[in-house]
Amino acid sequence: MTPAHDVLCRHCLLPVGRRGFTRAVNGEGCQFCCYGCCIAYQVKSGSADASEAAWFLVRLGVGSFLSMNIMLFSLLVYSGAFTGADRKVLPTIHLLLWGLATPAVLILGEPFVREIWSQARRGRLSSSALIVLGSLAAYTYSTLAVFQRGGHLYFDTATMVLMLFTLGRYLEAAGRARASRDLAPLLAAESELATVIEAGQEHRRPVREVRAGMLIRVKPGERIPVDGVIVEGRSHTDDAVITGESRQIAKAIGASVLAGSINLDGPLLIRSSGAGGESRWAQICRSVREALGQSSRTQRIADRLVGAFVPIVLALAGLTLIYWVQRLPLDEAMLTALSVLVVACPCAVGLAAPMAHSLGIGQLAQHGCLVRSPGALEALAGSRLIAFDKTGTLTAGRPQLVDIASDGVAEAEVLTRLAGLERHSEHGLARAIALAASSRGLAPIAAEEVQILPGRGLRGVVRGDPVAAGSAALMDELGWALPPALFARAELMAASGHSVVFVGWSENALAGRARAALSFDDTPLPEARATVDALRVLGLQVVLLSGDHAGAAARVASTVGVDAWQAGLLPEAKRAALDQYRTRHGTVAMVGDGLNDGPGLAWADVGIAVGSATDLARETADLVLPADGLWLLPWVVGRARAVRATILANLAWAFGYNLVALTCAVLGLLQPILAAAVMAGSSLLVVLNSLRLERLPGPCHPSGPELSAQARAHSEFSPSNYVVAEIK
Amino acid sequence: MTYYALLFIAGFAGSFHCIGMCGGFACALGADARGSSATALRHILYNTGRLSTYCFLGTLAGALGQVICTSPAAGSPRAAALVGASLDVGQRALAVMAGLLMILMALRFFGMRAWHGVASGFGGSTLVVSLRSLIGRRGLAAPLAFGVLNGFLPCPLVYAMVAQAASTFDVLAGCLSMVAFGLGTFPAMLVMGGVGRLLAPSWRQRAVQVAGGFILALGLVTLGRGILPMTSGHGLHHIWHVT
Repeated sequence: MTPAHDVLCRHCLLPVGRRGFTRAVNGEGCQFCCYGCCIAYQVKSGSADASEAAWFLVRLGVGSFLSMNIMLFSLLVYSGAFTGADRKVLPTIHLLLWGLATPAVLILGEPFVREIWSQARRGRLSSSALIVLGSLAAYTYSTLAVFQRGGHLYFDTATMVLMLFTLGRYLEAAGRARASRDLAPLLAAESELATVIEAGQEHRRPVREVRAGMLIRVKPGERIPVDGVIVEGRSHTDDAVITGESRQIAKAIGASVLAGSINLDGPLLIRSSGAGGESRWAQICRSVREALGQSSRTQRIADRLVGAFVPIVLALAGLTLIYWVQRLPLDEAMLTALSVLVVACPCAVGLAAPMAHSLGIGQLAQHGCLVRSPGALEALAGSRLIAFDKTGTLTAGRPQLVDIASDGVAEAEVLTRLAGLERHSEHGLARAIALAASSRGLAPIAAEEVQILPGRGLRGVVRGDPVAAGSAALMDELGWALPPALFARAELMAASGHSVVFVGWSENALAGRARAALSFDDTPLPEARATVDALRVLGLQVVLLSGDHAGAAARVASTVGVDAWQAGLLPEAKRAALDQYRTRHGTVAMVGDGLNDGPGLAWADVGIAVGSATDLARETADLVLPADGLWLLPWVVGRARAVRATILANLAWAFGYNLVALTCAVLGLLQPILAAAVMAGSSLLVVLNSLRLERLPGPCHPSGPELSAQARAHSEFSPSNYVVAEIK
Repeated sequence: MTYYALLFIAGFAGSFHCIGMCGGFACALGADARGSSATALRHILYNTGRLSTYCFLGTLAGALGQVICTSPAAGSPRAAALVGASLDVGQRALAVMAGLLMILMALRFFGMRAWHGVASGFGGSTLVVSLRSLIGRRGLAAPLAFGVLNGFLPCPLVYAMVAQAASTFDVLAGCLSMVAFGLGTFPAMLVMGGVGRLLAPSWRQRAVQVAGGFILALGLVTLGRGILPMTSGHGLHHIWHVT
């Protein structure tokens, strides 16, 4: 990706793209995607004495003053107010019109000409060229007519076309700014200032300069800039940006707070627990920025079409002129060609997708759902099948140790060795083991050379002895013996639907053997059933692909009610299963957790991770839901579909409109001023249609507040309840 | 001429309503440091800008009325008769619509919030924000631009007058209606710019009600032109079009 794609327009937060340019506002260089955004931004944030901000408005105002007067006099002339005795004043009126039109064309056309010039230097033909060419032709013709005392005048056309396009761009930019409102708090993490207390003094500092251990003051209503622990004050916070759920959570001294959440009602003093740039909020911010900088396939196709449009329209206008000039007087033929130029400006096509994307991405991000690329949204909208991973996705991912079957060793011995080893894993079973060890008062022994073997387990060295934990296959792989009695008991555990982990080690450099089998129970999430049902209502087929063995998978499958399930799948087998589904069902989405499913998530057309243990920047999923955010999935699918529907409607409108209008213009049925008005209106309609996305309802927890409170109680003390590898 | 005089008076009375909103702008525009003549020029430019917007709107409305009510095809007599019939219907429909709009706006002046929200749309707020940055600017272009944009601010009084202009069915008459109305608002606005608040709020309220009464009467007459039988309609038409 070239750096140019990363740059977002200062005003509408869309990628600057190829039309982009830099303009200084308040003494700071700002990137804008278009002229309209440039004006709108300056109007919004230029300080009163920033001469440039006002200068644009002065230009707009004086431009409209001139063009309105031109229009006024022209209408009077057309309506026949200056006939009969008043005929003598007509030449004077014409001269007056010329006098008004000349500055108007200069004032209103200058920004367009500047844009064309900057594009031309980069070897591109801007669509503004169509407008400028059209109105300059009308102006030149009319000027000649004034001084040769003959012919019709089209000063009103020349100026009104420019005026309407300037106004259209301005309004469009204002609408786009509204679309970016949701995104602003998410992108703020990079520019936000934190009130840091150093040596009793308060300093405002950029968040990225905040280090762990610094004291930060947060006033009520402010956003908490860094992750930390409250050392003074009490308040309520709203963590919607991180957890996806907007509700007040009481926080007192000692409670941890998340960067990005809003401090609702009390002043807080926070000790930062990590660098400002490392918080999840900052990562979300970077991720959103990256997503906005990318374009989907639809958008790329639309862009290519827009690029091809300008020369085609120029040619079409030329042909129209040649055709009509043989049948009509020159001025009327020219007017027809001018209509063609003006009406074909493909602004609406270029706008169709990015605004809907940024609205969609912004709204999802507001609820903690991250979209890695706009294309992912479109793919999700088109998915017909969703495959789920089991552990940590449909289940709580917090399995508990229920039984230990050992082969001649003490339980404590097994647990101490294992706990040391599993400290290096983020897998749900690992934490169950740590919990079990600590509840028995056992201190883990440090493990070295720990290796995670995805889908099979992990191995390491404890007190000089190689230790391994994982599936029977792992024991086989290592060539370690698996005593038949132990295996039989493990079979029994598995048959009742529990997850089984074998633990083995070798002593005194002899060949190791499996010494114990641990069984874990994992319960389906309370909201899993409702989520699966809601997805089915949306017309999606839901399947379960588990690395776990058949018993556990079947139990979970029947509890949550999926359509089909496959168990005992290694990551490669999951990929094969996805391929199968893809040939039968088309686009396939896969829901899993970040790491163990990495290959599966990357292989699916849309990979969805629930929670993410890893650094977001390294996340392979296209869509990341917050931890405990499974219930958001149906809403996310609905939103993705709404975004896609909006884009398709926008494109249909933009293309349909252009075709109809272009046909009318070529046939000479469209007045240029009308063409300009409707053209500006067309982009505005696309903006308004996209803004409708704003009005869709937010997500609503399927099982009411009690359940979500319960889920939260679970997650409160384990912010990283992510499952990484299935160790069977 | 009575017609335009009436509109001028409506504008004058109505401008006490303007003082509430646009008067604030006029005050903010303030005095020029270079003396009273420069200040006067500043305010005249501001009001000229405003006036030209009103004229433009009036002309457009008049042209719209004219387009609706002028026969597009001057072909055979039969066609002309047909068009004539529909022309009358169009004219009447427009008059009824304009009349109703004016009555609705007039009711707002008496505190009845009919159609609330029409005036305060998305465009309005954007425009007000835009205007703020123009107020403090020096130079002659700024007050002019300020006035022009100010003219587009949502205002029931202007809407009512534009409706009236549309119901004249004539470009020139539409334009002149708005000129008369706009000039009517000049005195109060110029005074506002120079002296600040002159009148007590209670007086302003009374003037606003007078303006409301004017607009209500104009609206009723316009509505009457659309509803009443042809003969009396013609009679009123004559009063209206003494240009």
